[in-house]
Amino acid sequence: MTPERFETLAEAFGGDVSRWPEAEREAAAKAMAAQPAWAERVLAAAGGLDAALATFAPPRVSGDLAERIAATAPRARAAAWARWLLPVGMGAGLAAACAAGVVAGGRFGATVTTPASEADPVAAAIADYDAGVYLDEEA
Amino acid sequence: MGDPDEELLSRVAGGDPAASRALVARKLPRLMSLAGRMLGDPAEAEDVAQEAFLRIWKQAPKWRPGEARFDTWLHRVALNLCYDRLRRRRELAFAEPPDRPDEGPGPDRGLEASDTGRRVSAALQALPDRQREAIVLCHYQELGNIEAAAVMGVSVEALESLLGRGRRALRAALGDLKEA
Repeated sequence: MTPERFETLAEAFGGDVSRWPEAEREAAAKAMAAQPAWAERVLAAAGGLDAALATFAPPRVSGDLAERIAATAPRARAAAWARWLLPVGMGAGLAAACAAGVVAGGRFGATVTTPASEADPVAAAIADYDAGVYLDEEA
Repeated sequence: MGDPDEELLSRVAGGDPAASRALVARKLPRLMSLAGRMLGDPAEAEDVAQEAFLRIWKQAPKWRPGEARFDTWLHRVALNLCYDRLRRRRELAFAEPPDRPDEGPGPDRGLEASDTGRRVSAALQALPDRQREAIVLCHYQELGNIEAAAVMGVSVEALESLLGRGRRALRAALGDLKEA
């Protein structure tokens, strides 16, 4: 690894080599062994910004936010369906068997999606967004 | 290595409330970390987190194991929601220019516990969106370069360029700080 490459990586990824791209770490370790004092200066300079970035703490989650979000999760429709069956006089065992069959089916009430979004959901999420929204510079 | 979220996601798709609570516990802090640093506003970060989970509940029954990492998808969805808000802010600012200098998106609630934290927050918000995104994904969310590039839809070389430019800009903005 050239010294320039070492400095470029420190500038991009910071002063902790364990956070550098995995493919570059072995070469980085050799560069550090070859010129330890220089490498330490480069990493310390990058590490100064890392320490500053660490002072920007993540936001505290307000009280019951997790519960409110969990409450929006869909429940198994089969459970509701089974409860409807019981008052009609069907046995609890039969209702439970029906519910298990529906849950095992896994797609009860699921909406149909396009093959593209199912095949690569990350690409679909990226394509879902208009690139024109990047009002600032882009790579 | 398999996707660590797949098993939980499968149970969420089956309507298991315990699994939903577990997924919220697992992902909510990460979503708040991402959105909080992209937007610099805790209230907006909570809105993004709530909307992201609505998308998760919708996606869970359709998720096909092995084709993508769920965490990668979730980061992209959350970033899209953040960009919606950033665009809305700019549209509002254009339509109604402030009478006085804009001092930032909102009150502090644990985001900037120190003066340095406030300065870092302001410096991050002043970066071009894509540079901030790269730094948030790699430094704060601790995604590897390959995964971060995948989330951003760019090459690893482009990611590295964004990181370098972003960090140089931050160092210039924070140069008087002892740590920087």
